[in-house]
Amino acid sequence: MARLKSPADLEQFRQGLRSGRDPKKPCVTICSGTGCHALGSDKVSEAFVREISRNGLKGKVDVRRTGCHGFCERGPLVVIFPQETCYLGVKPSDVSEIVSETLSANRLVDRLLYKDGDGTKVQLEDEIPFYKHQKRIVFGNNTLIDPKSIEDYIALGGYSALSKALFEMSPDQVLETVKDANLRGRGGGGFLAGTKWETTRDAPGDIRYVIVNADEGDPGAFMDRSLLEGNPHSVIEGLIIGAYAIGSHQGFVYVRQEYPLAVSNLQIALEQARKHGLLGKDILGSGFDFDVVIHRGAGAFVSGESSALMSAIEGVVGEPRPKYIRTAVSGVWERPSNLNNVETWANVPLIIDKGSDWFKNIGTEGSKGTKIFSLVGKVNNTGLVEVPMGMTLREIIYTIGGGIRNGKKFKAVQTGGPSGGCLPESLLDLPVDFDALTKAGSMMGSGGMIVMDEDTCMVDVARYFTEFLADESCGKCVPCRAGIEQMVKILNRICEGEGKTGDIELLEEISEVVRAASLCALGQTAPNPVLSTIKYFRDEYAAHIDEKRCPAGVCKALVSYYIDADKCTACGICRRECPVEAISGEKNVVHIIDQDKCIKCNTCYEVCPTRFSAVRKISGEPVPASPPPGTQVARAKGKQE
Amino acid sequence: MKTVRLKIDGKDVEAKEGMTVLEAAREAGIEIPTLCYHEKLAPYGACRLCTVEITKNNRSRLVTSCVYNVEDGLVVKTNTPEVQKIRKMLLELMLASAPILSDFAKEYGVDAPRFTADVTQCILCGLCVRYCAEVKGANAITFVGRGVDRRIAFVDEVVSTGVCMDCRQCFGVCPTGKIPRETDGASFEGITVRDVLAQSK
Amino acid sequence: MPRSSAKTTASGKPGGGRKRKTPPQAGEPQLAVETLARAGERLGMSGDDISRILGVVDSVAEEAQATESVVDKYKADESALIQVLLEIQRRNRWLSGADLATVCERLGVPFGRAYRIATFYKAFSLTPRGRHSVSVCMGTACHVRGAPRLLDRVVEAIGVKPGETTDDQKFTLETVNCLGCCALGPVIVVDEEYHSNPSSKELDSIKRACD
Repeated sequence: MARLKSPADLEQFRQGLRSGRDPKKPCVTICSGTGCHALGSDKVSEAFVREISRNGLKGKVDVRRTGCHGFCERGPLVVIFPQETCYLGVKPSDVSEIVSETLSANRLVDRLLYKDGDGTKVQLEDEIPFYKHQKRIVFGNNTLIDPKSIEDYIALGGYSALSKALFEMSPDQVLETVKDANLRGRGGGGFLAGTKWETTRDAPGDIRYVIVNADEGDPGAFMDRSLLEGNPHSVIEGLIIGAYAIGSHQGFVYVRQEYPLAVSNLQIALEQARKHGLLGKDILGSGFDFDVVIHRGAGAFVSGESSALMSAIEGVVGEPRPKYIRTAVSGVWERPSNLNNVETWANVPLIIDKGSDWFKNIGTEGSKGTKIFSLVGKVNNTGLVEVPMGMTLREIIYTIGGGIRNGKKFKAVQTGGPSGGCLPESLLDLPVDFDALTKAGSMMGSGGMIVMDEDTCMVDVARYFTEFLADESCGKCVPCRAGIEQMVKILNRICEGEGKTGDIELLEEISEVVRAASLCALGQTAPNPVLSTIKYFRDEYAAHIDEKRCPAGVCKALVSYYIDADKCTACGICRRECPVEAISGEKNVVHIIDQDKCIKCNTCYEVCPTRFSAVRKISGEPVPASPPPGTQVARAKGKQE
Repeated sequence: MKTVRLKIDGKDVEAKEGMTVLEAAREAGIEIPTLCYHEKLAPYGACRLCTVEITKNNRSRLVTSCVYNVEDGLVVKTNTPEVQKIRKMLLELMLASAPILSDFAKEYGVDAPRFTADVTQCILCGLCVRYCAEVKGANAITFVGRGVDRRIAFVDEVVSTGVCMDCRQCFGVCPTGKIPRETDGASFEGITVRDVLAQSK
Repeated sequence: MPRSSAKTTASGKPGGGRKRKTPPQAGEPQLAVETLARAGERLGMSGDDISRILGVVDSVAEEAQATESVVDKYKADESALIQVLLEIQRRNRWLSGADLATVCERLGVPFGRAYRIATFYKAFSLTPRGRHSVSVCMGTACHVRGAPRLLDRVVEAIGVKPGETTDDQKFTLETVNCLGCCALGPVIVVDEEYHSNPSSKELDSIKRACD
């Protein structure tokens, strides 16, 4: 395959690809992101190849393994083009029917379609409520391309923004366009990308770097993973355009090593780009040189902090630097370095292609464009969603997310990862906007949006995040290392029933110093989960401390399990499932939990059939006395009488 | 070298461009407490005791003076109530693992420490590690672990060459005296990388 | 165990000043084999014991060659230290003292820096990890869906705590932050197989399926 040496070459190549692709030719796309892979999408793809051949359709139907489609709750996902029929939860055993019915005979397989609450079936992917209300300008192409194929990306229009930037715009014009678009960083900081680019460009020195932060350390966030796995070229193209604007000839992608598929798809994409003359020396014949090195993380959340990341690239331990000089001025090897998040870079080709006005038309006054969120937790439709800035939390959680699972009640939504906070029901009408979320005591963060229900203990959530930060603290500075350690001890005491009056105030006192005196943003934002839960859920803290009660029934030391003698039918399921044999009973005899043996694993509570609901979980009150051993169950009693 | 004019605690101070606020203050005879600072070493920013309040363009914030460069017109306050509160808490936190610092901590108002932690008598100021790396060039001491498990440890491969026995310069820079006490001046048993890692299990 | 023969220069770097620029020559392992066989005979070791030792020498020589190749791949560039260590860790399931010495010597970095990196990052282990990796996701979504209880069950099933390896070197248990398949939560991964909320019984059968 010949190198593309000019914009004309690229266009010719693109037209050639397009003319060779019949838009009416059936194509089966199977989501092959890590989520669906975990659900067995590989076997589904293999089954399609086999069945298509067996039905004599080989060559007449394409099979494409794509990146993440986003609707992770209902994977493996299959979308059949050109109709865009969407099948959910496809198993290998479903494939022969799909091939013989849908591909051969144009009939739908009803049971695999999305069903609305009232039973209405939805055939088209875009009509499914989960997708209908999204605005997938960045993420949408995942459904259409095989991440290992640069041809797919180019056929869709890929690299035309790069061509436009290199040949129709000066570096200044590119930078001004990005500035004008008000693109704010999608990694958490929300800093204006254009301003950072400008600082990097104007800093003294001959060598500058551009860097992609693909460390994505927030637990519960996997947007960047899916973008890199599913559409690596979109990120690469954005990076090259940025390099051109800033005057950089060397780029780095820092990817966490926990993302092996993202690393390998990125490596393939970079190789392909080089082969096609879109990366390396004299890109597209423009005279502009630029290449990229991949640098893998090794398992430390703190190394995702910009100055720490840059130290890791230098080969020294990835700890944040205490200096007050911005990394845009002095970064890797003290050279000006522009670091942006994966999603931020992926927005750049769109802005260059369609212009800053188009971008500014989406979103709110202070937050332009869209944001990809990982909507997870106690919500029905778990997955990755892309929405315009300004959409309310309520709309995301209920209209797109389908509301709370199992008919439970909403309690809180956590945004911003360990640096963010929990927002209660009263704030559900807040728009997703950088400033609005920060003002409410949380933050946008990288996009993790974790939904919690009545069975979630907010003190436990604060403890979870604070423990995470204690584990991930680099340990260099006293306030973060020792301050967070003491906060964890206090939270553990509270959850174990040993909370003391004054604990909340002590947490607040330590928090103030951790926030004010820590060296880096990990420490400075570490008190947020604790402070936001104290602000909105103080009553739960009070219950734990004053009444030794966990209202959500989560904190093991504060809950007890017992079996309601009036409801037990001696079905025996709990007794069999109990991992420590703490339940005694036999046929027709009320089962009893031995409180001394019980390890509070929750198994009996989960397995007791809903129609009986005999296992009760209580907190803050003593366990009722057990019935005498040998007591007959109510039904048996009824029979005797 | 360009002269920079700033105000520290109400006093007009002249400093050279490139100096830090801490250096300028010390030269002007103004005391700012430190535990991890050493004139021969690059500033580290670990203890945070040198935190001061700076005001620039009508905006105030807290910074660590050991790494903040002097600027024209900067207004520095080294001992505001907020700064005092921070120093007191920092020392109270350090005391939990290094109770040997209790006299020093009392000077900053810590008389009833509320925290407990593993007693290592080490505040992880890094002076030993940095001195050995930057001044001696032997790299005989390093940090191992992360977060609360972070420890200093002597590198077996270096210690076994005998270079430490002849040097012992780290003994003098350790603010808690941990190093001379634990090595006993003769043996590094218990404080080498392998030993420290075995203990943390 | 540290290689007691590892010489260090005044800068804490290995090699006594001599930098090794070429990988071990082809003839070297052969020489070691003959010499060891003779020594074993003279010491009155059984033929079996001598064969066992020679077998280990072969695999160790292979490992050393592999480590040198990784260093070569990164052109012995000191800024690639973390990348080099990651590859060696992945290949050998740990970082031995010998491998660390080779890397430090070739890249020209002090031992202390290698130890600092090896103990700072979760990816590395200075003791051999088990043949089978068991990872329990402790991401926020999984936490909210009951990951701590699942972890209890896994600890009960395998018999070690997170970060530890079983005595028979069969399993290493770790906690990880977000595998990105939150729809399956709470989830564990055993080698590369994902399991959604396995019960104690299911964990037992997963365990038995691993050799």
